[in-house]
Amino acid sequence: MEDETKYLNDLKAVVLNFDIDNAESVAKKVILSGADPILAASMLTEAIREVGDAFGKGDLFLPDLVCASEVLKKAFPVINEAIEKNGKEQVSLGKIVIGTVFGDIHSIGKGMVATLLYAAGFKVIDLGINVKSEDFLKSVKEEKADVLAMSALLTTTAMEQKKVIEGLKEAGIRDKIKVIVGGSPINQEFSDSIGADGYGATAPEGVKVVKRLLGIGE
Amino acid sequence: MKKGFIRNIKPLEILTEEQIQAIHSNTLRVLESTGIRFESPRILEFFKKNDCNVDFEKNIVKFPPYIVEDSIRKCPSSFTMKARNPKNTLVIGGNRHYFSDMPGNWTIDLDSWKARPATKQENKEAVIVLDALENFDIFCAYTPYFEVDGIPPEMSIPESYAAKIRNSTKVSWEGSQKECEIFIIEMAKATGQDVMGVGLPSAPLTYYEDACDSLSRYIKADFPVNIACGVMMGGTSPASIAGSLVSFNAEVMGGIILAQLTRPGAKIVVEDSVLPMDMKTGHPVFGDITTALHITAFAQLYRKYEIPTFADSGWTNSKKIDFQDGYERAMTALLVALSGVNVNNLYGGIYGELEYHPVQSILDDDIAGMIGRYIEGIDVNHDTIASDLIEITGPIPGSFLATSHTRKYFRKERFFPKSADTMTYPEWINLDKKDCIVLAQDRIKQIIENHIPEPLPDDQEKEIEKILAKARKRYGSI
Repeated sequence: MEDETKYLNDLKAVVLNFDIDNAESVAKKVILSGADPILAASMLTEAIREVGDAFGKGDLFLPDLVCASEVLKKAFPVINEAIEKNGKEQVSLGKIVIGTVFGDIHSIGKGMVATLLYAAGFKVIDLGINVKSEDFLKSVKEEKADVLAMSALLTTTAMEQKKVIEGLKEAGIRDKIKVIVGGSPINQEFSDSIGADGYGATAPEGVKVVKRLLGIGE
Repeated sequence: MKKGFIRNIKPLEILTEEQIQAIHSNTLRVLESTGIRFESPRILEFFKKNDCNVDFEKNIVKFPPYIVEDSIRKCPSSFTMKARNPKNTLVIGGNRHYFSDMPGNWTIDLDSWKARPATKQENKEAVIVLDALENFDIFCAYTPYFEVDGIPPEMSIPESYAAKIRNSTKVSWEGSQKECEIFIIEMAKATGQDVMGVGLPSAPLTYYEDACDSLSRYIKADFPVNIACGVMMGGTSPASIAGSLVSFNAEVMGGIILAQLTRPGAKIVVEDSVLPMDMKTGHPVFGDITTALHITAFAQLYRKYEIPTFADSGWTNSKKIDFQDGYERAMTALLVALSGVNVNNLYGGIYGELEYHPVQSILDDDIAGMIGRYIEGIDVNHDTIASDLIEITGPIPGSFLATSHTRKYFRKERFFPKSADTMTYPEWINLDKKDCIVLAQDRIKQIIENHIPEPLPDDQEKEIEKILAKARKRYGSI
């Protein structure tokens, strides 16, 4: 039991130390020690939440946030595999499909929002960059997502967000999902004009908007 | 010891070897044939005894070149200034770069931009702010405020030094008037720290008795002396930069020789305070680019002499904290640093020496940080070259953001300003469009509320009060 606690603390430390290289091996040790994988997952979530909060306060910077996120990407598959073996599922605040729209390869802002949403307790499906409208629609349907989050960093690609929203309408699922948009050319007026449900100027604001739209308190 | 900034880049060199030699040999010529006027019978006698040619009728001392060059050689190339807390001790000289402040007679109102005398509390708070600012290293003479409401002029320097000792552990260099250096030296000794004194020539080519006395007293106490020479080009020196360098240098040499004959190995710094004269009004012009050219040549010459240097950069002709104030001080301060000067007098002063404001000192702390980061240069080694990382990362979609290398270096490589507006546009709108002046005011509030300077031990506080009482009695200000 003592070992379990030690390994669980190591797992948290690996996130807080941004230790990408050791993430996977520490996660394996935790599972081998017999620790509850659900507990291990919550340890990772707690750690990334601390990182996210420190980033929100300005104490940590973007490389810290994304490196912590990289640690999670390495550690989580190991933990998840163990959870699935036990036939359990992790509890989340909601499911979010996120990506940067077609024609746009900017990933930083989208990555920040994805990490902070994850840190806040959401399940995040990150489709990456240059995501076509049909791929957003497919993922939203398959995952039964609660929120679709789209990023655009160019004035020329911002309208791509509107195209995806139109696609949701055509597929008859617009009322089943909340849509948020972000990126430097986006503002509240633009968000309203394309029929999105919310807009956040910064990544932490984006998380607040999602919580508000899903009726989740702070 | 306080690190300051280490200049790891080659200093600016704008003169050729022959040009430096020309300034030096013409300095020797002025000292040998024109000489320096010393308004002090005691000093004239002293020079006579030391083999200089003295004209007692005209009070002129002419110096043989060997005495001049011998005195230059005797100046230490660097020296330590002990602070009352060792973490603030300075080593002045070499490739080390420190920041100091500029005096202002009065404070200014940030809405009306009118100047008025500062209160004792405002003076104290201005010192506390400088104590808190990490890139600020040494207090300049007559700072922050030259005139403080309720303090008689004769007591301004002793009271000013006492306020610095009480509210900061950083070292000071202090001015002189009416022999007040006696009390300054006592206060430094009572608190176990070094203080830098002054020996100020009056251009052209003259030293009055009080300047000689001040220099001698500090040197005898084994404290360093700043020979700071304020010159107006076209008025108290030739209007040409080269001519001004020669007359400035000859004036300074008068003090250096006096110091080295008084105590061989005396610790000397030389300060360039040269300004062009405004030929419409007769006023000095502050923030003029000529000043920076003069300083760069001066620094090159004094590196050759291996004598540490100070220079004034926080001079602007603007009466407000505005764009002109920003570009004049930032350009001069950067050039001063690039020139290889050891102490950069930047913080707080506005419009020559008329005004000072702590908001300006907060903004200057960011300028100092930017400049300091620049002169520390580029670290080139296997890890920083990062060719392995570049290979692993590859073209798009490769990114360097989520790598340990980025985490390791992004902080080290950058300077992060504390009061600059670094917000995104939406953040800026949400935060009432705050600019750097408002952000600096926010930072001052934080400092005044949270920064508690290391207090003086009780016995030292009593000593300081005793010395001040003696000074007040001497100047009849009780």
